[in-house]
Amino acid sequence: MRFKDAVDFALASLRKRRLRTFLTAAGVMIGIGALVSMISFGKGMQKNVTQAFKASDLFSTIVVMPGGGEAPQGGSELRRQPVEEASRPDAVLDDAALAAIAALPGVRLAYPDIGFPAMVGLGGPQEFRLVQVIPAAVAASSGLKVGWGRPYSSDDEEGVVVSRALLRRLGVTDPASAVGRKLRLTTVSIDLGRLATLDLGSIFKGGSSPIAQETYEFPILGVTEILAFGGEANLTANAVMIPPGPAKRIKRLPFSSIWDLFRMRNGKAGYSAVTVKLGSLGDLNRVRTGIHGLGFATFAPADQFEEITRAFVVMDMVLAAVGMIAIIVAALGIVNTMVMSILERYREIGIMKAVGASDGDIRRIFFFESGAIGFAGGAAGCLLGWAVSLLINRIIDLYLARQGMPSVAYFAFPFWIFLGAVGFAVMVSLASGIYPARRAARVDPVVALRHD
Amino acid sequence: MSAPAPLLVEAKGLAKTYLVGDVRVAALAGVDLVVEEGRFVAVTGASGSGKSTLLNLLGGLDTPSAGTIEVGGAIISAMGREDLARYRRSVAGMIFQSFNLVPARTALENVELPLIFAGLEKSERRRRAAELLAQVGLAHRARHRPSELSGGEQQRVAVARALANGPRLLLADEPTGNLDSRTSREIVGLIAGLNRERKLTIIMVSHEEGLVREFAHEIVRLRDGRVVEPGGPS
Repeated sequence: MRFKDAVDFALASLRKRRLRTFLTAAGVMIGIGALVSMISFGKGMQKNVTQAFKASDLFSTIVVMPGGGEAPQGGSELRRQPVEEASRPDAVLDDAALAAIAALPGVRLAYPDIGFPAMVGLGGPQEFRLVQVIPAAVAASSGLKVGWGRPYSSDDEEGVVVSRALLRRLGVTDPASAVGRKLRLTTVSIDLGRLATLDLGSIFKGGSSPIAQETYEFPILGVTEILAFGGEANLTANAVMIPPGPAKRIKRLPFSSIWDLFRMRNGKAGYSAVTVKLGSLGDLNRVRTGIHGLGFATFAPADQFEEITRAFVVMDMVLAAVGMIAIIVAALGIVNTMVMSILERYREIGIMKAVGASDGDIRRIFFFESGAIGFAGGAAGCLLGWAVSLLINRIIDLYLARQGMPSVAYFAFPFWIFLGAVGFAVMVSLASGIYPARRAARVDPVVALRHD
Repeated sequence: MSAPAPLLVEAKGLAKTYLVGDVRVAALAGVDLVVEEGRFVAVTGASGSGKSTLLNLLGGLDTPSAGTIEVGGAIISAMGREDLARYRRSVAGMIFQSFNLVPARTALENVELPLIFAGLEKSERRRRAAELLAQVGLAHRARHRPSELSGGEQQRVAVARALANGPRLLLADEPTGNLDSRTSREIVGLIAGLNRERKLTIIMVSHEEGLVREFAHEIVRLRDGRVVEPGGPS
């Protein structure tokens, strides 16, 4: 029997039982659809995170921290945990240390993490935020996406950059309209004159306190976009960025939390962290060794990226396992359909054998039948998985758009997903066809011809 | 009928036992049969005498429990499944009481079936099938499905199908059992014609004494799985 004839036989018999063929193939379609969208979701996440990492300069960033008591922080601030202990726990991260770090070969830029809490507002509702002091060179870097207006051009320019998320909180829906408006910053400081006569108890009894509030106004120069996948998370999350020049004028507490006070060494607190930008990624280890030599601990997001990559492999496997469950159900459906088909065509099989069909001929016909179901179901499943993914993506986008998040492709469809899915569907269905095909080939023609 | 013809079929000590429940039932219990090339042999006997079992063994549909079958020099009782399929395909054509056509296929496609398993190309087998249908007088019914054909027509399609790969032996298992007497005569006449004109060897199971006496060269009578009366029509 020729190959083409066996295929024709298989297709003819599938056509004859259209509904059942369709239902069985639909089972495969759903299974493959689930698998395709699961895997493409995994690949999409991986692609997005990788791109965000690459776009954000994070690969060429090292965070330098002094040794000793690190403030307890939430899980989201994972990157703040140093990966190793500082060689000199008593080293203070002050301006001298900053200069030494900046002088290390391979360091493009080093700036301290300075932030202070403030109430911010545009005249309407106010929000409590940490204002970050960021040099102009960093604010203008690719890691920070200023979508409206512009970043400040020098360290002394009077103006701030705010995030779109903050504007929404302040009631501004059109970020472009906020550019040029005045942002009001209210900070607290200690009135030293009153501190001398301080009676702490009176603060809580409604008496006058030594805490003074100061209000400043800065024009909004630019508004940052929200990056869906982290990006330079700590920069954008802090919502208000101010250049070092005007920051110096602002009266404020010299610390942002009580924890900073615990870090004091010989009465000096120093900076809680210094961010180092590398000239090139190749300098990472050299610069890091240099910083260790100065007695500080380092953390490089590039290290974390490897961990993330490993996590994605696990995630892919979990997603694929979920998809596999649907495939297994579909495979059982194929076995069921094929066994039913043998029972219905018992006599026909007998006739074919009586006129000279070999066991192999019969086996091939049934094998191709289940293979064809798998192919059709697999191809349809690719379309289904793709369509469902687009739909889910659209729904997520609609939801996130209301929160000011940009639209993102959460699913990735490299070509091999489709090829692999169809190939896999055919493979699974052929495997499902093994038992029915063998059973059909074993039909005894004498019994089958007596069969009515 | 004096010229000595070579032997085509030679069966020795054929036995077939079936297991029905826990009981062994002997359908054939030591049958010897010799058929010369070009003969028309009828096998008769009461139902349950083992006629159909004998035919299934000769046709390679079944394998004997004991004994040997030699057809045209090949020992088919020792053949494996693959060789038996090839034997059924091209050496022994079979027709049945219930015609055994594939209902979903047209007359032409049914005749094509053995040619498909023989691996013939489509155009060639279409041509051969049409030719065969014309030979049994059904050229005009080629596109009809079995359900649209009369019993006689269906049996003609079955005959054409049995002849597809040019067999040396035609085995007919009660070919007239589902037909009226006029059509029965036509079908047996057709078979006898093939025997006469092509020297095709025929073994036909039938219990219609009249037809058998008229057309067969010799009659083999079976009773309880044994040959009781070998010889010519008396």
